[in-house]
Amino acid sequence: MEVIKWIADNVFGTPAILLGFIVLLGLLLQKKTLSQVISGTFKAVIGFLIISAGANVIIGSLGVFEPLWKEVFGLKAQKLSGFLGQDKFNAEFGSAVTLAMTLGFLINVLLARFTKLKYIYLTGHMMFWTTTIFAGIIVHEAGDVPYWKLVAVLSVIMGLYWTVQPALTQPFMRKITGNDNIALGHTSASVSLLAAILGKYLGNKENDSEKIKLPKGLEFLRDSNVITALTMGALFVIGAAIVLFKDTPGARELVASAGNQNFIVYAIVQSFTFAGGIAVVLMGVRMFIGEIVPAFNGIATKLVPGAKPALDCPIVYPYAPNAVILGFVGAFAGALLWLVVLGNTVAYVFVPTMIVLFFHGATAGVFGNATGGVRGALIGGFITSTVVAWGQFIMVRYLISSTIPDTAMWAADSDMFIIGPLIKLLAGVLF
Amino acid sequence: MKILCVCGLGQGSSLILRMNVENVLRGMGVQADVEHTDVSSASSTKADYIVTNRELAESLTNASAKIIIVNNYFDVEEIKKALKENLS
Repeated sequence: MEVIKWIADNVFGTPAILLGFIVLLGLLLQKKTLSQVISGTFKAVIGFLIISAGANVIIGSLGVFEPLWKEVFGLKAQKLSGFLGQDKFNAEFGSAVTLAMTLGFLINVLLARFTKLKYIYLTGHMMFWTTTIFAGIIVHEAGDVPYWKLVAVLSVIMGLYWTVQPALTQPFMRKITGNDNIALGHTSASVSLLAAILGKYLGNKENDSEKIKLPKGLEFLRDSNVITALTMGALFVIGAAIVLFKDTPGARELVASAGNQNFIVYAIVQSFTFAGGIAVVLMGVRMFIGEIVPAFNGIATKLVPGAKPALDCPIVYPYAPNAVILGFVGAFAGALLWLVVLGNTVAYVFVPTMIVLFFHGATAGVFGNATGGVRGALIGGFITSTVVAWGQFIMVRYLISSTIPDTAMWAADSDMFIIGPLIKLLAGVLF
Repeated sequence: MKILCVCGLGQGSSLILRMNVENVLRGMGVQADVEHTDVSSASSTKADYIVTNRELAESLTNASAKIIIVNNYFDVEEIKKALKENLS
């Protein structure tokens, strides 16, 4: 009995350790050398712990961004508080998330083997984020949930999503890529499908985006650190400038919080801190997913030969690079619009994460262009910003507010926002 | 020998490239330490070779590593050809 409890607390209860065992098993199954097994396992565990460290950096700067823009919109200032946060959530539920990812993957493999939906989802980092966000919604809705029930429910949901989503986008993927060899495995599927459908009715397929010439010299936008720091920098500085001119007690308090430092300089540093926090989290995810996905892939290719890999969204970009830019432009413009609208109507400060807006806007742009040309691509981008802005508001305020709103603000995206309410409903029924 | 597989964000695409490169190298009987990362980190990471697409290669001109261009990260034939041509 004591052994079981010890294992429950120290293996299943400690996400880093459980993750280590899963990766260890995966590496052994791939017949890696001893040195590869050790380095792979350690890298996965360290990567997972790095995520928590990065998340705290992000919360720090969001804790300045939110009150700043609340003051700009004239809303009651509330410190970002009353939630678990990614760090503590990872510590308490991280092992359930990791186990659900693994079992969900196995369910995906089984479904691919025994049904016509022969797709294996291989976009590891989205597997992690989607499972985490859904877990956050369930725990927020149902409170103290039994470990194994949480794992079981999450595994089934994820296994189904990872098998069905690629199937839904495949008709358009065939059109875009001209073949049926690869599928899309990414949470931009919902906005991409919307873009393709709207493009068909509102766009002009003849006006293909690849026929037009777009200006070069925008290569620096490729670097996510740069573009995140740039946009957040602009938003922080604009917000800080507005607050400096306001003479309300709230504004004066904010300026005082910068201490001896000029408020604008303080704001700039905060925006770069935000970008830094994201860079740290992404590095952590890269390290641990880099060990899990090859193991998953090894299992999948043995059990379901001939299955189509469902891959990360950039696979469609080479087929319509101009549509990528148009989609992003549409998403960026829409994001700024919704930032102002959300602040002034429902009193929510939208965090326009460039990473989500770029990748989802771009993918929706390619899908929209496939059915509706330039107009389709732009509509796709705008739809993306609409789903992301309103989705973030609904999720942060209603679906996940006590668990990981900090994560939802920058890492949650289209499919998670659209399926989120359904998860909340299921949690209410099942727990 | 250290090979770095690079994509924009260093999350999904570069990992797929890395898995394909590792498979091709295994087929060629070549031993190498293969990692994946984003274009930002790649310019400061030491490696013998960097595998990436033409677009991102333009941002990596300062890297000391030899750049191998692969444009389709899941075209195993393209990867095989590029590695055979460039690995000494």
